[in-house]
Amino acid sequence: MSSSLPTSPSRRDFLFRSGGGLGGVALASLLSGSPAFDARAKRVVQIFLSGAASQCDTFDYKPLLIKKAGEKFDPGEKVELFQSNPGVVMPSPWTWKPHGQCGKWVSSLLREMGSCVDDMAFVHSLISKSNIHGPATFLQTTGFILPGFPSAGAWISYALGTMNKNLPDFVVLPDPRGVPPNGPANWGAGFLPASHQGTSIRVGTLEPIQDLEAPKQSFITKESDRDGLALLKALNEQHRVERTGDSRLDARIASYEMAARLQLSAPEVLALDGETDATRKLYGLDDANTADMGRRCLTARRLLERGVRFVQIWSGADNGFPRRNWDSHENLAKDHGALGHSIDRPIAALLKDLKSRGLLQDTIVHWATEFGRMPCSQGSKGRDHNPFGFTTWLAGGGIRGGVSYGATDDWSYKAVDKPAHGYDIHATMLHLLGVDHTRLSFRHNGIDRRLTDVHGHVLREILA
Amino acid sequence: MVRSELAALAALCALPPLAAAAGVSYQRDVRPLIAQRCQTCHQGDSPAASINLAEFPGLARIAHSGKLIAAITGDPTTGSPPRMPKGLTPLASADVDLLRRWIAEGARNDAAGTEANRWWSLRPLRKPAGPNSIDAFIAAKWKESGLKGSAEADKRTLIRRVHFDLTGLAPTPPDLQKFTTYEKLVDELLQSPRYGERWARHWLDVAHYGDSHGYDKDKPRQNAWPYRDWVIGALNQDLPYAEFVQQQVAGDVLYPGDPQAFTATGFLAAGPWDFVGHQELKEGTVDKNLTRVLDRDDVVTQVMSAFTSTTAHCARCHDHKFDPIPQADYYRLQAAFAGIDRADRPFDDDPVTHVRRQTLLVDRRRAQRRVQPLLDKVEFASSPEIVELDIRLQDASLLLAHLGTPKTPAEQAEKERLTKRREDDRARRTQLVDALVGPEITSAIAERQAETKAVDAKLAAMPAPRFVYGPAAYFPRVGNFRPSLQPRPIALLARGDVKSPGYDVEPGALSMLGLPFDADGAAEDGARRTALARWIASPDNMLTWRSIVNRVWHYHFGAGLVDTPNDFGRLGSQPSHPELLDWLALWFRDEARGSLKALHKLILTSAVYKQSSGDRADAAKIDAPNRYLWRMNRARLEAEVVRDTVLQTAGKLDVTMGGPAVRMFFFKDDHSPVYDYARFDPSSPGANRRSIYRFTVRSVVDPFMDRLDCPDPSVLTPKRNTTLTAIQALALMNNPFIVRMSEAFAQRVQGPDAVRKAVQLAFQREPSAEEFKQLSAYAAQHGLANLARLLFNTNEFLFAD
Repeated sequence: MSSSLPTSPSRRDFLFRSGGGLGGVALASLLSGSPAFDARAKRVVQIFLSGAASQCDTFDYKPLLIKKAGEKFDPGEKVELFQSNPGVVMPSPWTWKPHGQCGKWVSSLLREMGSCVDDMAFVHSLISKSNIHGPATFLQTTGFILPGFPSAGAWISYALGTMNKNLPDFVVLPDPRGVPPNGPANWGAGFLPASHQGTSIRVGTLEPIQDLEAPKQSFITKESDRDGLALLKALNEQHRVERTGDSRLDARIASYEMAARLQLSAPEVLALDGETDATRKLYGLDDANTADMGRRCLTARRLLERGVRFVQIWSGADNGFPRRNWDSHENLAKDHGALGHSIDRPIAALLKDLKSRGLLQDTIVHWATEFGRMPCSQGSKGRDHNPFGFTTWLAGGGIRGGVSYGATDDWSYKAVDKPAHGYDIHATMLHLLGVDHTRLSFRHNGIDRRLTDVHGHVLREILA
Repeated sequence: MVRSELAALAALCALPPLAAAAGVSYQRDVRPLIAQRCQTCHQGDSPAASINLAEFPGLARIAHSGKLIAAITGDPTTGSPPRMPKGLTPLASADVDLLRRWIAEGARNDAAGTEANRWWSLRPLRKPAGPNSIDAFIAAKWKESGLKGSAEADKRTLIRRVHFDLTGLAPTPPDLQKFTTYEKLVDELLQSPRYGERWARHWLDVAHYGDSHGYDKDKPRQNAWPYRDWVIGALNQDLPYAEFVQQQVAGDVLYPGDPQAFTATGFLAAGPWDFVGHQELKEGTVDKNLTRVLDRDDVVTQVMSAFTSTTAHCARCHDHKFDPIPQADYYRLQAAFAGIDRADRPFDDDPVTHVRRQTLLVDRRRAQRRVQPLLDKVEFASSPEIVELDIRLQDASLLLAHLGTPKTPAEQAEKERLTKRREDDRARRTQLVDALVGPEITSAIAERQAETKAVDAKLAAMPAPRFVYGPAAYFPRVGNFRPSLQPRPIALLARGDVKSPGYDVEPGALSMLGLPFDADGAAEDGARRTALARWIASPDNMLTWRSIVNRVWHYHFGAGLVDTPNDFGRLGSQPSHPELLDWLALWFRDEARGSLKALHKLILTSAVYKQSSGDRADAAKIDAPNRYLWRMNRARLEAEVVRDTVLQTAGKLDVTMGGPAVRMFFFKDDHSPVYDYARFDPSSPGANRRSIYRFTVRSVVDPFMDRLDCPDPSVLTPKRNTTLTAIQALALMNNPFIVRMSEAFAQRVQGPDAVRKAVQLAFQREPSAEEFKQLSAYAAQHGLANLARLLFNTNEFLFAD
């Protein structure tokens, strides 16, 4: 289907989008002939815990770790780890208790999120193909362990097109401490047209969207801009008179009008001062520890309610020292502790707020990370990477709340029941958006590429 | 009426020849059909109903059993629809008939192929009878389709077009004044050093060249640039294409006394590299093997895409679904690169010194080869107590790293305690290992290390070398990144899975071409790469010669004769002018002897290139996509051309050539380095150099360039996208670079007649009376800098007719 798109339009591989443009085309051909595909959701917010958030300190409760604390870790096979030799069994430094009607055990690290478990569907049996941050992060963001592939948000923008012409389809809210492993390549468009790439918004900074406004203290004024745009349009229209039949020239003229609309709509969506005190408090804007993530979660809600298709929120930057992401090799209690505290309330607030506004029913919320952490210690206080079994959860549009899919062994070491991959999460996400993951493709370098490569199964057991 | 029928006929003729009298071919007819209709489910690790149709045996089995036809035809007695493809439209009756005939003919695999059913790109090059010039071939297609060409473009348009095309810059007022004839201009521009800079950028797209490694901890690649300079130089010197190819694959081996040819091999290391996978993962682990397989995969993909427009990489997990490339061929190509890793390689500008150092490095590799097995005994010696110590040692290292610089006396004490503990543990570990391996090994190591030290001493006595990032068979070990010392064995991986190795393969290339490959499993790295270089550059390799002339055509016209420049296989496009493509390939190989400059001149002086780009309703009705080139294509300038032309127009372009890449961002080296474009100091040296000299970071691309569709340097880019978005418009209006250059441009033209001068510089023409009036009024009210910024944003500035 869409593979014919890059080669068929009238002039070269000219691709642009104005209005429903390309997105609309892709959507129409994806959905045709498959009336069974009812879209249950319209938009996605993905919260990415960069550096690998531990499953056995958050949602994957294993009493055996408490029982065998300090004993030799022996799951009955050779354990090949990223950096280290396996240490002793290390129970979580946090306590556990059941939450919600479903009785899901959640650690005290994420107690606020514990109050949302009846809306969440947990997948405990994820496996990663790589135990290295870069490739494994790509696997979850783009579906491949190599660089150069489009991010899930770019695919969704490509497939579904826009719901609000005045805002980008795919917005990224990076951690202010820095970019995650692979950097912005995690939200790139790969070989898809650049118009589908994630637009990074640095919430709370002086210039949240790059180049949205002319630099301050320059020769540019409101008046020079207004008159300049009018004259630019006149010049471009004169230029076009002798150059009929080239829609690129029209598209460029239109792009300045869209730019002007973006200039008006972006500051409005980013201004949080209109939110009530109750809302600000809900998101933890009143607490220095939670204010940053809170602002970004609240901004995400504002973007989603204005029709942005895909919002990606990052918790954690690169893997450097001092630790500024979830890669707690050295001191899990300290590093996971601080990060967990900073995100627990804001994420719970986002779920509750979306729900109370009726947005959760057609918004998918996705907790993502590149792999899990080992149930045994690395050194004395840390945990090494665990690509063999880790946890993600989904909530919202079309998701059945309060269920758990798949399981790791008694150690939280290895997925043993219904092993699943990131492909399955992507397939499920696309399915809920009304898109068949096997048909959403784009031909690049001789292959019809998909977000799910040649894999992916919709996880029907977690669907409502 | 007649005309549109003719067009339809012409379109039909462009389609692949269908099964005719020759019978049904598995490779040509059946395989693509099955791949498209059945393989979505019936392939891979767990194919639906355990029927794998991606491989011939699986298909043959169900074809012979009658199950295939039964599944796709439904039941005529009950009228029930076909069971397969499940949930999709049934196969067309013509397709069902085709499969029936194939089964009736014995359901055979004609993998070897015959001349008649060979895909167009795999047929030998043949000189067509009749036409003998580009324009004659083009005119023949016009005639067939009922088209006529367009008039020649006016002088200003042609000068602008050819300047952008060959140099990536606009013509300057002196350029316009000294113009005599078009042909002379083409000659002059081909002699300009700006030509190599412009066309090197095209080749670097194809090579997915970057100045950092990519992935996690995206480290700067300090020594990639000598390869970039080699490409610029090779193009400016018009290195014959066969040389251009061979030097990039094996220049170090083929021309041992030529430091330039040595830097050419930077091509093989141009792509991304997984720093953590190579440097941090332990030898012998599954993930380490995966890292290496994927690293070679990147090289194989790049080499075969760039030189032969072939998608060999599609055969990593199974036989190629559409082209006759067995999986084993793919792994043979991996074996051609089994002796190398990507690393900084020392070289010398003085040829004598160069040869001496390279000879010593071969000795060094041999010496290391003798000692390494013994060192491995020590490195991998293990006992429960050693494992215990390793855990403690790592614990200390982790805690020390986490501690950082102590801020309190308690932290200082902790640091000292851990440091001491680590020292004691290390000493204890050495004792344990020594006891385990025994004194014989220890003394044998000492003995053989005397050899490596002797060579090291000779190397140390040499003058300091330069470095190029390239394919290295030997390099000093860093962490867990160490040379193979001899080519690693390459096994065919079932389903591409590193955990399912099959038999070992020998080095080789694509068997479908039937060309010799002169190296076997016993060959060292150099011999393997040399064999591949010769295989690619062979005069008989029809893919190589078709590929390059098509690429050159693509960059001149904005579309190739084959519109998929990296894929001449069945999933690629068909050539619009197959005879012209072959004629050009032969002309380029035999008459021009691989001179790219001669090829440019031939194309640029053709009438088809010189046509106006104006629209004509009559022609557009027949051929709207302009496949038959009844007019010239209008070009949206690429990111680099926009940036360079803005600099040039503002009078700020710095044309210094070559040397280390210019960091047009704030850089802070760290565990994960920081690249920040917003904190760049635009007054720093080199800030106004041509874009080809930019330091291209893979993980954090330059947002301004990115918005103008500058490709991700990790993506092989045979042709660029063109998007026209609001975000792009904002970058062209507000990016600090544009704002700064608008001020410079204003300064350049200020004084009497500023508006006229500005228009001349930006558009290479006089303003019309109306434009002059409008622009003057705007400049009078808002200043010249605003006027300059406006001109940079016009369609006229950003497109070449």
